[in-house]
Amino acid sequence: MFNREILIALAIFEALVLGLGFALSGNNYLMLLAAQVLLFAVFVAAWNIIGGLTGQLDLASSAYMALGGITTSLLWMKLNVPPLLGVFAGGAVAMGLAVLIGLPTFRFGVKEVWYALMTASLVVILNNLFRYTMGPWDFYLPSKWGLIYLRPRTYFELFLIIDVVLVIVILVNVYISNSKIGYYLRSIREDELASESIGIDTRSYKLRALAIYSFITGAAGFLQIVIYSSFSYRLFDTSQAISIAIMGIIGGLGSISGSIASAVIFRTLGEYLRSSLGGVFPGLDLLLYGIMLIIVGVLKPEGLAGLFNQIRRWLGK
Amino acid sequence: MSGARVILRVDGVSKRFGGVVALDNVSLEAEEGGIYGLIGPNGSGKTTLFNCITGVYKPDKGRVFFDGRDITGLQPHVIARLGVARTWQKVRPFRNIKVIDAVIAGGLLKTSSISEARKIAEETLELVGVAREEWGKLGSEISLMEHKLVDLARAIATKPRLLLLDEIAAGLRPHEQEKLAEVIRRVWRERGLTIIVVEHVMKFVMSLSRKIFVLHEGRLIAEGTPEEIASNPKVIEAYLGIKPA
Repeated sequence: MFNREILIALAIFEALVLGLGFALSGNNYLMLLAAQVLLFAVFVAAWNIIGGLTGQLDLASSAYMALGGITTSLLWMKLNVPPLLGVFAGGAVAMGLAVLIGLPTFRFGVKEVWYALMTASLVVILNNLFRYTMGPWDFYLPSKWGLIYLRPRTYFELFLIIDVVLVIVILVNVYISNSKIGYYLRSIREDELASESIGIDTRSYKLRALAIYSFITGAAGFLQIVIYSSFSYRLFDTSQAISIAIMGIIGGLGSISGSIASAVIFRTLGEYLRSSLGGVFPGLDLLLYGIMLIIVGVLKPEGLAGLFNQIRRWLGK
Repeated sequence: MSGARVILRVDGVSKRFGGVVALDNVSLEAEEGGIYGLIGPNGSGKTTLFNCITGVYKPDKGRVFFDGRDITGLQPHVIARLGVARTWQKVRPFRNIKVIDAVIAGGLLKTSSISEARKIAEETLELVGVAREEWGKLGSEISLMEHKLVDLARAIATKPRLLLLDEIAAGLRPHEQEKLAEVIRRVWRERGLTIIVVEHVMKFVMSLSRKIFVLHEGRLIAEGTPEEIASNPKVIEAYLGIKPA
């Protein structure tokens, strides 16, 4: 299940992440940026379960993130439920909505571009619904800090908390990937009818993948609100959902190392371009970012995972 | 073969698509352990009949019985679990998974343990004759012939009692077809399952089956041994479009 190669890779990755964390810990701005990049990687890794393994082009990541995060925040603010517990409720609410939508969606065979359109519209619908009920305001989290609120005093500690979550999500990915459900999900990605014919209940397995992904995304959503210190209906953000899917695709569908690498590399580059060029020439950073994505898409259609495999083969020889 | 129990009974099945009658009151029976051919010109309803048996389509009229149990209109995965496996006419069934993993997914029907499923997959790949060095390759890296064999192995790995092969020889060269026919005979002998072969290539199906069903324009027009079928005037007319003198 967790073989030596995977554990060594994870250990090397963690050494890099923690080393970077310590190196940046003097600079609050860079520390916050690093925490944001890691959290983005969490969302991409969760998306990998529905998008990469199962092949469903889900564009609703930010909907589950926002719904889960706002649930956790409201439970804290209104009912005094500490977020350390509240995140599970947030995940459950996001999962509940996902399953509620997934049941008819998979029952009536909505797939491919139609699935993408449907999930994308979910973000838009919730965005409008929450703007209507919450108003256009930002709601600030209470001025309380501590581990039970998942809200530490320093960005370095926040970085560590998000890192722990990332490790958990990676292990969940590895576990799924190497067990029966993983074999079935990959089979569904390749061909649903052929999967049915070898006895796979494709609807039920797609629903399981959707449930796991939306639970993780919803539970981790609160950490995004912690980074912002506030929340509003703007968390239901279509472009965020699309960029999460893009990272999963660029990383190589189904490859956990590829999707994490692309999330970390591209998000960091994007932020760097924004901070260095955004003020000088507004929009130039987005243009360069887009061009980079196109270059990767043309040179490595199978994603960063293909590059990793090439390096592995080359090292093996 | 007489006296064996009937494993598949198709009873008056009809299926239409809009105004087109794809199957018109088709009935046939297959006995346990037999090897059958289902032939007919393009568009005669062979694949539609397979799809009605395996639950891909729900027949408009008629029933399908497997081992005495009515399986009409059940979902494909339920029918697969009961012991009906099939292969696909489709040329590339998978691209981005490894050969061995595709077959393991088949083996997981009867077990939840990956290592047991892997053992089943290895035995099956050996049975159909896929060379060991191909096992680690991706679907996009293997030839058409190997795809046909892997698709066959994946179906067999589910340990079915009835195996339906849909135009498995289509697109292959003559010597590859002969090799495939040999593989199917070996599977039939060693696993003792019931096989129905849908085929376009007459020579392939004639050499393989003991009994042949002929479909023409959605109707069953003949059944019998390969010799009877080859000399049946209705069959000759259906294939050549002329009445023999």
